[in-house]
Formats: sequence, structure tokens, C-alpha cells
Amino acid sequence: MDKESLINAYFEGGLDENGLAEVARLRATDAEFEEELVFQMELQGALKKQERQEIKELFESLGKEEPSRPVKVFKLRPWLAAASIALVLGLGSWLFFNTGAMDPNQLYEANFEPYDNVVHPIERGNQIDDLKDRAFIAYENDEYALALELFSELNQEQNDPYIEFYSAIVHMQLGNHNKAVAALQSYMAQDGALGDRANWYLALSYLKLGELEKSKEQLRKVIANKTFKADAATNILDALE
Amino acid sequence: MKDEQLLAQLKKRDRNALKSVYKQYKVEFFKFASRYTNDESLLEDVFQDAIIVLYENALAGKLDQLKSTLKTYLFGTGKFMLFKHFRDSKKQVYTDEEYNFDQYEQAVIQDVSSDEGPSDYQKLLLANFKRLGDKCREVLELFYLQNLKLDEIMTQQGYENKNVVKSQKSRCLKSLRDLIQRQNG
Repeated sequence: MDKESLINAYFEGGLDENGLAEVARLRATDAEFEEELVFQMELQGALKKQERQEIKELFESLGKEEPSRPVKVFKLRPWLAAASIALVLGLGSWLFFNTGAMDPNQLYEANFEPYDNVVHPIERGNQIDDLKDRAFIAYENDEYALALELFSELNQEQNDPYIEFYSAIVHMQLGNHNKAVAALQSYMAQDGALGDRANWYLALSYLKLGELEKSKEQLRKVIANKTFKADAATNILDALE
Repeated sequence: MKDEQLLAQLKKRDRNALKSVYKQYKVEFFKFASRYTNDESLLEDVFQDAIIVLYENALAGKLDQLKSTLKTYLFGTGKFMLFKHFRDSKKQVYTDEEYNFDQYEQAVIQDVSSDEGPSDYQKLLLANFKRLGDKCREVLELFYLQNLKLDEIMTQQGYENKNVVKSQKSRCLKSLRDLIQRQNG
């Protein structure tokens, strides 16, 4: 094994006793080997320490976000639980049979959730200066106004279609559904890779805007795709018709 | 979220998984540990450090065959670290420790609890690391932080063979050295 491979195996944790003994021997006798190994150890140590700091900052921000309070747990007696289930079922079917189509707003609230950041995993160490990182960190932290600002800045720098997709989700979060529709249409026109997702969010935006026919049209596309949210789309379509 | 799922995400260095662990267990951990101390800021530090230990040991593959739940491991780590703190500060000594962390895990615990931030030299390394290209940072982070083997990086990143990864890594280290040298000279 050459020295470089030996060092790599050392970091991979793949050395047996003989390998480890060889590393110890070279460290004591070969200055160049020792220097290289220490350099890489320092780098690994530095990266780890930096990541720990980032994680702690993340936790601090969580701590500020919401003061933790103990969750109250209500314990229901069995018969009470059974009764409440019966009540919920009864109420549910009463609503179902009596009110006909459900309120689009309720359907929207029940179904909307922001799409996960799948295009730019925030995994790297310290690249917070990077615009794309900052945009997606804001997005993942639910800081939507900031995310929107950063996405539009990003859009000027690099014209990747997915920026519009995520901008649309942010618009939805902020209640700007007309803007969301425009962004989603533009995204679909560019044939973005998340096209089937875009159908779904477009359907929800139309739902919120009360444009039910357009919403149904998109829902049918989602159902036809048979993958993302197809079941949920079927449920909404049933409720609307 | 299920433990397996959470572990898999932690191993991908997913920050959201860290957030979930923090949010999910904070209240309960404080309740659990309050029998040993009522110093809330100490508990907060220990809780955060324990999650970092859990995270780093997950990355090292130490939790792949975890027999207990994630919660048990986390709380056990927290308790161990709390006792270590008491021992180090000679305040109180508890003797009811029941842990079975191996040497590697204990080294991680030691490392995390004595971490006082990067040294000056490490700061220099980090500042120049940031100046490396995307590809370089990626390959080095996968190797040193995510603890992936060169083989695994090859598969995951779609390199042709292991030697390509090996020489990529070695090139990146050289660039880093060059950057530092230029800055110093």
C-alpha cells in the first residue's frame, strides 16, 4: 500500500493492527508522512469544529423560535374515547352528507404544505456566504420573506428554472396566490424537472383563488401522473364535484 | 419520525433531522436530567452537545446496529456527559452511571465536550477551504465529515473509479495547501 492509500485507509477506519502499526512507524520515522497526516487531521478537526458551531447556532435559533412548553396529554377513559370517536365519525358524515362540496379554503389548508428543498441539500460546512445556500436555508427555516428576496436575487444571477418553482411555494406561504400561479406557469413553460409537483401546487393556488375549474384541470393532471399527490388530488376532486 | 429514518437523514448530514431531534426530545430531556441539576444553562449545553455526539457517532457508523432507541442513546449520552462535567468540576459525584460506550464513542464525547472552537491554524484552514471550488469542498466534506470511504464517494458521486476520487481528493488537498501558502507568503 502506498503512503497516500495508507493515510486514506487510516481515515476510513479500515486499518487492522498491522496497518496501524505501520502508520505509527512512519509517523516516527518519516517526517513527510507525519506532516501530511497531521495536515489532514487538522483539516478534519477544523471542519468538525466548524460544523459543531453551526449546529449550535441552529439550536440557538430554534430555542428562540418557540419557548418549549410541556405538552399536555389528556387521557381519555376508554368509554369516553369510544364516545368521542363516534361523535367525530357522526359529525364527519353529517358534514359530508349535508354540506355537499367542501369549502375550497378548507381543502387548501388541509392540503398545502411547502415542498421540501430537493434541489440544493444544505449539507456543506460553511458556505453561508453562498447566495443559494442562504436562500434555501431561509426557505427551510420558514423565513419566507427573506427567502423570496434571496430567490429573486439568485434568479438574476443564474436563471435556473427551479428558482421559480420555490419562489412560487414562497408566494403561496405569503398568501400571494396570483404571483404563485404566474411563477408556476412560467416554471412549467420551461419544462422544469418538478413539473408534476408544479401541477399540484398550481391546483392548490387556483383552489385558494376560487378558480375551481382551473384547479380541477390541474388536479386531473396530477391524478393522470399517478405519482406525486395523486391520492390527495383524487380526494380534493371528489370533494369539489 | 421513526428512528431508522431519522438516522438515515442524520447520516446524510441533514440539518432538518438535527432540528427534529432537538425539538422532539428537549422537554423530555430536561425533565429527565433535572434530577441531577437544576442549572438550566448547563442542561441546555449538555443537551446540545449530546445531540452533536449522537450525530457524529451516527456519521461514523456507530449507530448502525443500535440496539436501543435513539432516545435511549441520546439520553444515555447526555447523562454520561453531565456526570463527566460533575467529575471534571468536582462538584458532585454520582456513581450510578450505566453506559457502555466503546473507546471511539468516548473519544467523540471527550472531543465534543472539550471543544473550544477552531485553533488559529484551523481558522486559516477553514478560511482557505471556503475558497476551494464546489467539487473540492464536496469531496473533502464527504470524506472527512460524512465519513464516506473513497469507494462510497465514487458510487454516490458517479465517479468512474476509485482512483479518480483518490486523485481528486489529493488534488484538492494540494490546492488547499497552495492557497494557504500564497496567503502566508
